[in-house]
Amino acid sequence: MDIFEITREPIDKLGLEKRLLTGGAGAVVTFDGVVRDNTKGRRVVSLQYEAYGPMAVKEMRRIGDEIRERWPDVERVGIIHRFGPLKISESSVVIVITSPHRRVAFEACRYAIDRLKQTVPIWKKEIFEDGEEWVEGQAPEVGQ
Amino acid sequence: MNGDTIKITVLLFGACREAAGAGEMNCDLTSPADVAGAWNEVKARFPNLEKFERSALFAVNEEHARKDQPLEDGDTLAVFPPVSGG
Repeated sequence: MDIFEITREPIDKLGLEKRLLTGGAGAVVTFDGVVRDNTKGRRVVSLQYEAYGPMAVKEMRRIGDEIRERWPDVERVGIIHRFGPLKISESSVVIVITSPHRRVAFEACRYAIDRLKQTVPIWKKEIFEDGEEWVEGQAPEVGQ
Repeated sequence: MNGDTIKITVLLFGACREAAGAGEMNCDLTSPADVAGAWNEVKARFPNLEKFERSALFAVNEEHARKDQPLEDGDTLAVFPPVSGG
């Protein structure tokens, strides 16, 4: 079973990999997005993530469908995104792709994080030492 | 029916929610209604949202939507800036 979740709790990366591992998998590729301590040199204290929960999970599931269309060999797809306050080096998103061979898992994992940043309704605010700012997302392509 | 009043729920997220000072509101519209008309109503109620005129994105019943999408009674419209997850 694929896994698409949002959570306020720290993401259990190893647990997610374990839940997705099947006998047919020969490769597990994991993307772990973590909170960086600066933005263009300005010191970041923490991040605050906000999600439109039900729609976020729907859009993650849609990414899973897109991956299966493009890479039918993929065994399992797992995406967990965290929301709420996050500290430096904590994981905001973990994506796990398993497949029989490595190439497909690498490609699908890259696709998943790129797509997530375009379509999944989640927003982050950077908390600096001297203020706070919402991160400006990229405007989506027409026809989305 | 044209001319009827329809009721929708509007959700605001991220910088839009913060600018409005509200995350959820009810909105009455006159049928036929669409996303663009609802957005005008929301901006009239929260003038601070005017700065999102060019960037705001929309979803109807949890699906990405364009401004010309029609709205029906009971729909949920979400208004938000370009997403920045990850």
